[in-house]
Amino acid sequence: MLRIVIKKEFLTAVRDIRLQISGAVILVLMLTAVLVGKQGQKKIQQQRANAQAEMQEKWLSQGNKHPHSAAHFGQFAFKPKPVLSFLDIGLDNFTGISVFLEAHKQNEVLFSAAQDSNGMSRFGEMTAALVLQFLLPLLIIFLTFNIFSKEREEGTLKLIHAQGLSMRQLFFGKVLGTFLMVLFLFVPVIVLAYCLLDQDSAALDTHLTSKFLWMASSYASYFLILVLLCVLVSAFARSSGLSLLVLLGMWISSCVILPKAAANMADKLYPAPSQFDFRNNIKEQVKNGLDGHNPSDVRLNELKQKVLKEYGVETIEELPINWSGIAMQAGEEYTDQVYDAEFAKIEKIFTKQNNTTEWLGFINPYLAIRNLSMALAGTNFYHHTNFARAAESHRRKFVKTMNKDMEVNHKPAIAYSDYKVGEEMWSSTAEFEYDLPSTSSILSRQWRSITALGLWMLVLLALSTIYSNKIPTI
Amino acid sequence: MLEAIQLSKNYGAHEALIDLNLQVHQGEVFCLLGANGAGKTTTINLFMNFIQPDSGLIKVNDVALHAQPRTAQAHLAYIPENLNLYGNLTGIENLQFFTGLNGNKPDHAFAASLLESVGLQTAAFNKRVAQYSKGMRQKVGIAIAKAKKADNLLLDEPTSGLDPQASNEFSNLLNHMRENGTAILMTTHDLFRAMEVGTHIGIMKAGKLVHVLESTEITLSELEHLYLETMKPQLHVAHSH
Repeated sequence: MLRIVIKKEFLTAVRDIRLQISGAVILVLMLTAVLVGKQGQKKIQQQRANAQAEMQEKWLSQGNKHPHSAAHFGQFAFKPKPVLSFLDIGLDNFTGISVFLEAHKQNEVLFSAAQDSNGMSRFGEMTAALVLQFLLPLLIIFLTFNIFSKEREEGTLKLIHAQGLSMRQLFFGKVLGTFLMVLFLFVPVIVLAYCLLDQDSAALDTHLTSKFLWMASSYASYFLILVLLCVLVSAFARSSGLSLLVLLGMWISSCVILPKAAANMADKLYPAPSQFDFRNNIKEQVKNGLDGHNPSDVRLNELKQKVLKEYGVETIEELPINWSGIAMQAGEEYTDQVYDAEFAKIEKIFTKQNNTTEWLGFINPYLAIRNLSMALAGTNFYHHTNFARAAESHRRKFVKTMNKDMEVNHKPAIAYSDYKVGEEMWSSTAEFEYDLPSTSSILSRQWRSITALGLWMLVLLALSTIYSNKIPTI
Repeated sequence: MLEAIQLSKNYGAHEALIDLNLQVHQGEVFCLLGANGAGKTTTINLFMNFIQPDSGLIKVNDVALHAQPRTAQAHLAYIPENLNLYGNLTGIENLQFFTGLNGNKPDHAFAASLLESVGLQTAAFNKRVAQYSKGMRQKVGIAIAKAKKADNLLLDEPTSGLDPQASNEFSNLLNHMRENGTAILMTTHDLFRAMEVGTHIGIMKAGKLVHVLESTEITLSELEHLYLETMKPQLHVAHSH
């Protein structure tokens, strides 16, 4: 009997001209978003891969120079564009694409797309995620707002009841029929999206297929949650008008008002310092020490005494090694400590802000799917910090290599300008490589969003099972 | 057989049905007459288990409806006043859907033969119901009821809004079902139709069944007179002390 109801719901929806038009519009938007997004992702990834290769070429061909000059010459690390980012741009437009790696300083990842965009970019890009999270729910509302109330108003519910079908069977038939209709729109697009994955970019991510499957099934769960919620509202609403009003109110609250409120709330609960304060604080601590009572000149003097004692000499000129190399590496390491401490603080604040919105997924499934989708697409804050950490780790390695060479090979008797190394040295530093986080590391960090979606599903299924037989016939 | 015993239903302070007692045996058509709000539709809704009574008992083929709703409902077929089928489905598809709900699986040919048996034009079978007239929709309703093979049929003002020809065809179909042993309880405002198809006629007023007659005992004009007399408002004389 369930099959008969599912078939009827699907047929009536497919033949409804209003739904044909709105479904076609959603389908066209999704296809456009997927095709345009895919092209954009491929182009950007190619540009970044080319830029990374060009940077490496420049590093290798920088000519003969002092290793410390090379450390200042620096390198760029370009953030790879995750292949699934074409489905969900997430924070990618706001988090920067490259970072300049140099001695003494941990620079920020800069040159975000938003910096180069006009004010319209504030409204977001047309991506598949926008359509799936924001617009498809509207279609679900239009598919379901009168799915029960109209039948009640037109008396067909009486006729169905008279045929002996229980309201529970009818309810789940309608839920599954509508869900099938949604899948009818969603599945072809998602399958097409998988077929269109850029193979060059796909090679960067060995976990791509599992991420894609998780993403597709997360969206399918989100749609089922919405269908259950909408059909429940329609089942108990006194009229179709009231049902539509309630559902549109819920859509505006969950997709427009609550996300803004969640961001504001997270910001108020865990305020982040301004960029000026952040930079100033780092500068201050490098100069005066992490505790404010250990200035750089005192630290340098302590190191000098220690090294002189170690080598049993009175002056730095008598040292068999290059004092500047040691001093610079020590300075690097101290600066690293300061940066690590400050970046850890700010990262903690941002993580707490993000966790707040993830917790709010328990009252708003839109927030749960938004966070999970961004994470699986590789465009959330975790991916950004993961890249920044990898770039910083690379910076420390190559700067240390330069300082070590200076310490060991640049003898005190040789003037700075006379000590030079070349391509052999440059090629001894490993090329910057970045692996995207694995599926399991993403999912383990997204447990709140996954649990929220699971809980929404369970609660709605329980409510549906308990109350569906109490749906009024008239 | 349909049976109501001391059946009552209130909507808040309003007494919609008061101590209704009636029986409709197999092969009988009981027509309930009465003004709007007399309790006719409430009676049908109670028999169909759409609403719950405040007191009293309903039996369908001697099975208590509220004790065994599934068993009782298996013996009931129903046609509402405004039969709004699914406009996006064809007549055949509507029939297949509704009959499918009670476990039957009529194929296209069987569904077509059912529609033919209720007099629907063949050309309409595969047209979407949105293009049907009310009479055509009522015929599909009869086909749905017939397909259920229930021995009791409840009709809520089935001929309202039908043209005379469609009403006449509808009456013929009911007579045919009655002859086959179906017990029919029908509400209507149409006195002529009640006399034509009813074996028994009941007149309701303010939630009470005030008259029960056999149609063979009375003429149409007598029924009309009785109905109008019954519907006259009662005069309340105010006594001052």
